Amino acid sequence: MRLSRLGAAVVVATMVAAACSSTPGGSGGAGQKGTLKLGVTLPLSGGAAADGQPTLKGAKLAVDEANAKGGIGGYKLELMPLDHAVNGKYNEQQAAQDMQTFVADAAVIGVVGPYNSAVGKVQIPISNDAGLVQCSPANTNEGLTKPEFGALNLRKNHPDRINYIRVATTDDIQGPAMAVYGFNTLKLKNVLIIDDVTTFGKGVADNFEKKWKELGGTVVDRVGAGADTTDFNGIITAAKPKNPDGVYYGGVVTSGAGLLLKQLRQQGLTIPFMGPDGIVNGNGDAEGSLIKVAGAQNAANSYGTIAAIGDFPAKKDFDAAFSEHFKGDSDFKTPGAYSGPAYACATVVLKSLEEFLKTNASADQKAIREGVRAYASDPSHSFDTVLGKTSFDKNGDNTQKFISFYVTDPAAPNNGDWVFKEQQDFGGS
Amino acid sequence: MATTAVTTARAPFERVSRRSTPYVFVVGLALAVFALIGPAQFINALTIGAIYALVALGYTMVYGIIELINFAHGDVFMVGAFVSMFTLTTILGDGSFSLGVGPTVALIIVAFAGTMAVMGVLGVLIERFAYRPLRNAPRLAPLITAIGVSFILQNAVQIVYGPSPINTPQLIPPTARIEIGSISIGLINVFVIGSSVGLMVALRLFVNRTRLGRAMRATAQDREAAQLMGVDINRTIALTFFIGSALAGAAGVVQGFYFGNIQFNLGFQAGLKAFTAAVLGGIGNITGAALGGFVIGFVEVTAAAFGLFVWGQALVFAVLIITLIFRPSGLLGQQLGERA
Repeated sequence: MRLSRLGAAVVVATMVAAACSSTPGGSGGAGQKGTLKLGVTLPLSGGAAADGQPTLKGAKLAVDEANAKGGIGGYKLELMPLDHAVNGKYNEQQAAQDMQTFVADAAVIGVVGPYNSAVGKVQIPISNDAGLVQCSPANTNEGLTKPEFGALNLRKNHPDRINYIRVATTDDIQGPAMAVYGFNTLKLKNVLIIDDVTTFGKGVADNFEKKWKELGGTVVDRVGAGADTTDFNGIITAAKPKNPDGVYYGGVVTSGAGLLLKQLRQQGLTIPFMGPDGIVNGNGDAEGSLIKVAGAQNAANSYGTIAAIGDFPAKKDFDAAFSEHFKGDSDFKTPGAYSGPAYACATVVLKSLEEFLKTNASADQKAIREGVRAYASDPSHSFDTVLGKTSFDKNGDNTQKFISFYVTDPAAPNNGDWVFKEQQDFGGS
Repeated sequence: MATTAVTTARAPFERVSRRSTPYVFVVGLALAVFALIGPAQFINALTIGAIYALVALGYTMVYGIIELINFAHGDVFMVGAFVSMFTLTTILGDGSFSLGVGPTVALIIVAFAGTMAVMGVLGVLIERFAYRPLRNAPRLAPLITAIGVSFILQNAVQIVYGPSPINTPQLIPPTARIEIGSISIGLINVFVIGSSVGLMVALRLFVNRTRLGRAMRATAQDREAAQLMGVDINRTIALTFFIGSALAGAAGVVQGFYFGNIQFNLGFQAGLKAFTAAVLGGIGNITGAALGGFVIGFVEVTAAAFGLFVWGQALVFAVLIITLIFRPSGLLGQQLGERA
């Protein structure tokens, strides 16, 4: 009796194991050679949807266009998005699990994402170990790529095998850029700096503060308010007697930027509110956007930077193609700040795939993955993307270093929106 | 298993000084805080403390009567905030509201009455279906059920309203101020502190001066004896939950007015602080819970005023631990089964 039960269990286990083992390649629809997958790792739900959804759609546009042209090298492309938002906020543990999923699926030849630097910190060791190329459209923390800021700790096993590339500029440029703007253009002198005590928020606020002091400005208060904070009134009341004429918030909207802005206005402080790309996340109707959370009127007099080129040469055409492609969607029909960069990231990966397959048409999936990585991260290669000519340096950073400045306009359609003001290229260094 | 109170004979002076030490402590703390951080921050502390106190009352009442830490109470507060937001936005529609004083006051009363009634009923339903069947079960069972109810409430709100912060109508403009001589206080602060203190006083009067209140005290003191005296235990416990949840609902209304923003995970943080306040003041003791709420408000705002904002939570718990070391039953704590 017991033996036959054991035998049955063994048979069932074997069947389950056989069913679960991934079948390589798979029969693709149109492609003769099968399907390859482009992974996307972003926070897509809840408050983070304003960040992740437009970015995802940028990548989707690129994949759809490639498939419409008949795929690449005989392969059909499939987008594989995994959402690492938990309760509306990006979650590092979920992101690490997602990256493991990508690594384990042999058909995945590249990943676009993530959006938040804290997630990059968690995912890079995993993708670096596996040699899977990962292109982030939005990560800005300099510690993810630059050895002098600790990036080698993230790629301990293969310090010279670069798999992580990004098209966004880094915070050691973004923070100081806003400092210069605030000091020279907005003519501010005393600033209150608050950060959300995360990899990104604290990093960019540190960079801002350093530059601010260099320029000769004073810091009224520097406060770390964790990402769970909802009540900033104590901080604001403490700073009011010191007469700040501006506020800089290092962090994202899900960490409380909208609530801080609202409470500032409620306490009567209509001074300029500045922040990094974490606060420039959509118009007043988009779920989780700064303008929606704070209210369009309260969001007036706010300034943000985007660590990417804002007015790129092909922008009009890209915007039109994007809006046309997604016009049937229920929300997020217009491009967001990182849609273009995500599209560019996908372009880079797909172009690398195309070039690799030209000379290695019969490579297997493992070789394709390595080939794509090698091609994409090679500093001598340059890609014609929607952002212009894109190439990556030996650390994986974009050689193009643009910072774009945005200001809020409460009177814009959709209950207020961010409006592009100007951009600066810090590249060539 | 009811515990009986033990009273020892004490000399009159000792009795007075024993009872008044915690009050002296809190008043002294208030004065010290006022001197340290100034009037503007002090008002902030009183305001946030008032909200914590209102939520703490429900915790302490439920614990006093059935010895259950109702972890779902913080989420009742959160649901109250959403109910208030829903009521007001339904009445006001989408338009901006520059109403006169009369309509504003009327709306505020409607918001309070409606939210308190709805939350009271919700509290009674939770007690009826989640806790009453487990009244004689081992203590762990209703505790875990309470956590389960907490998750259900949070997820229900998240499904309906999404995880992002939602804006609530702030009928009292946050920038309006009242001038008394040379002192200027925000109108919203006066509203929050006033309504909270008013509700607390009303509760105290109810518990001490009415028959139903006496029934509650009796049930809390000795359930079997109260039953023998003709008190309907089920009704009394249901009433306790009704009142506690109604107060949490009122706190939700106040939260919406003060912050202008509510979110589905409001309950966890607020519940934790309110529970701390209840324990700090002596769990089971209504006045203690109120005092505890204000103490926590003081500690948090003082920490922020000194640039130690990140340490705010840690300091609150440090104060709790130190208080419990010197007074193990809390500031006004008495032995299990007795009420203030």
